[in-house]
Amino acid sequence: MSNFLHLFTGEIQRMKKYHILAASIVAALLWMGILHFIEIEDLTDLFPLFIFIDATSMSMLLIGVTMFFEKQEGVLKTLFVSPINKVEYILSKTFANITSNVLTLALLYAYAKIFKTVNVNIFVLLFAVILIAIFHSLFGFIITYYSKTFTDMLMGIMKYAFIFTLPVVLETVNILKGKFGDILSVILYFVPTKASMLLLQSSSGGIEVWEIIISIFYLILASGLIYLLVVKKFDEFAIKESGV
Amino acid sequence: MFIVKDLGFKYPQNKENTIKGISFEIKKGEIFGLLGPSGVGKSTTQKILTKLLTDYSGSVMYKNQDLKLCKREFYQEIGVGFEMPVHFSKLTALENLNFFKKLYHENKDTDELLKRVGLYEDKNKKVSEFSKGMKVRLNFVRALLNNPKILFLDEPTSGLDPKNARIIKDMIKEFKENGGTVLLTTHLMNDVDELCDRVAFMNDGKIAEISTPKDLKLKHGKREVEVEYKDNKDVSKKTYSLDTLANDDEFINIIKTKKIITIHSKETTLDDIFIKITGVTHHE
Repeated sequence: MSNFLHLFTGEIQRMKKYHILAASIVAALLWMGILHFIEIEDLTDLFPLFIFIDATSMSMLLIGVTMFFEKQEGVLKTLFVSPINKVEYILSKTFANITSNVLTLALLYAYAKIFKTVNVNIFVLLFAVILIAIFHSLFGFIITYYSKTFTDMLMGIMKYAFIFTLPVVLETVNILKGKFGDILSVILYFVPTKASMLLLQSSSGGIEVWEIIISIFYLILASGLIYLLVVKKFDEFAIKESGV
Repeated sequence: MFIVKDLGFKYPQNKENTIKGISFEIKKGEIFGLLGPSGVGKSTTQKILTKLLTDYSGSVMYKNQDLKLCKREFYQEIGVGFEMPVHFSKLTALENLNFFKKLYHENKDTDELLKRVGLYEDKNKKVSEFSKGMKVRLNFVRALLNNPKILFLDEPTSGLDPKNARIIKDMIKEFKENGGTVLLTTHLMNDVDELCDRVAFMNDGKIAEISTPKDLKLKHGKREVEVEYKDNKDVSKKTYSLDTLANDDEFINIIKTKKIITIHSKETTLDDIFIKITGVTHHE
């Protein structure tokens, strides 16, 4: 892991130079704008929802964007013949992503604290964001591995958001009602986004302890499994990207 | 440095092997040219030697050790120069080099390398502002960054003007003089002729010929000498066999009595050998 720190700082440097970090801050400002214009003073219930969308979709998107930049500019080729290992490469990107997510969390939290009312446990929220960012960053690798073009990658993220993120959002804002809503609520326990939402909501209380524990284990286990897959498929990706 | 025995490789999506049992050796301190038209397996061979492809048959030994057993430290010893740009375009040349530099235990003086290839004044420019030739030169600097023992170069002078191509070729020669080993892939036969100690021509996944450029030229050329001379007011040209030259009275008479304009032995060029061996023009 000797190169991890160097690769991580390199990622952060490039996220700045390629305006990826700026885009992430703009997204946070956008959320702030929305929070500002909705006339709700107490953001406690709404706050996890905003963090949820950012931590899930942005994590996948940032991995895809940075890897596509590297792909387009041929940098991946030279990285593959450098003395770094795939674990260092994968983890440096994941942790750079977490940094961006934590920055967004800090900005939104500061805004909510200064201009509105929010009663969440920031440490629980931070823990949840890190766990969610790890899982979704790793999922971002999988989407990128199987995307030939940038549009394919965006479509992959859209599909994920449509299948896994949107139903959880709809359930959270109580749009899913009746028998269908009840069935879907049970089914959603099997998807990573539900576990993510439960963890974020636990920062403001009202979530059963068993739900929190299962969510934590779910995300850790799912992250572990997807990490193994990301590492396993990395060599195939490297061969493909080296021009075969 | 490398001993390759009966190397075979098949891409999963292909029916046929791309590499069909090739054997060769790259000796320490030599410049070895791997030549052939596109799609014959040169890049695949290079990818195997740089450990990008590992699922091959046969054996590849690097410094008497099975290449498959070499760890990531192997990359501390090699430098790979790509034909296409391989740098972060929104970073400056120096930022790019500093990023890659920190991945290695050993580093060359970046300023010196940049000065040598004429990029020192542009080191703080973003790579996106570089011309194609500047990017090619930066690629070369990147390959030398870790003071490698072996260099893999793919078309190192492609897109360069003669002056800059000369600088790169001189640097390759100096690398060799300092004990470095080079695997060179190029379509420019003049570069091969000037730089390579030995060359292998690949065709359809096999090595069709392997020897020194000089031996290949002699082998594929004619043992003849062509004399061009002034014959009264006209210019005449005659060809004689090298094997009977000493006893050829007509040749001796021309040498003694005529004004010689040119005299050439008829060994062939690497261009001709390329076409003859591979059956295609090297622009393919």
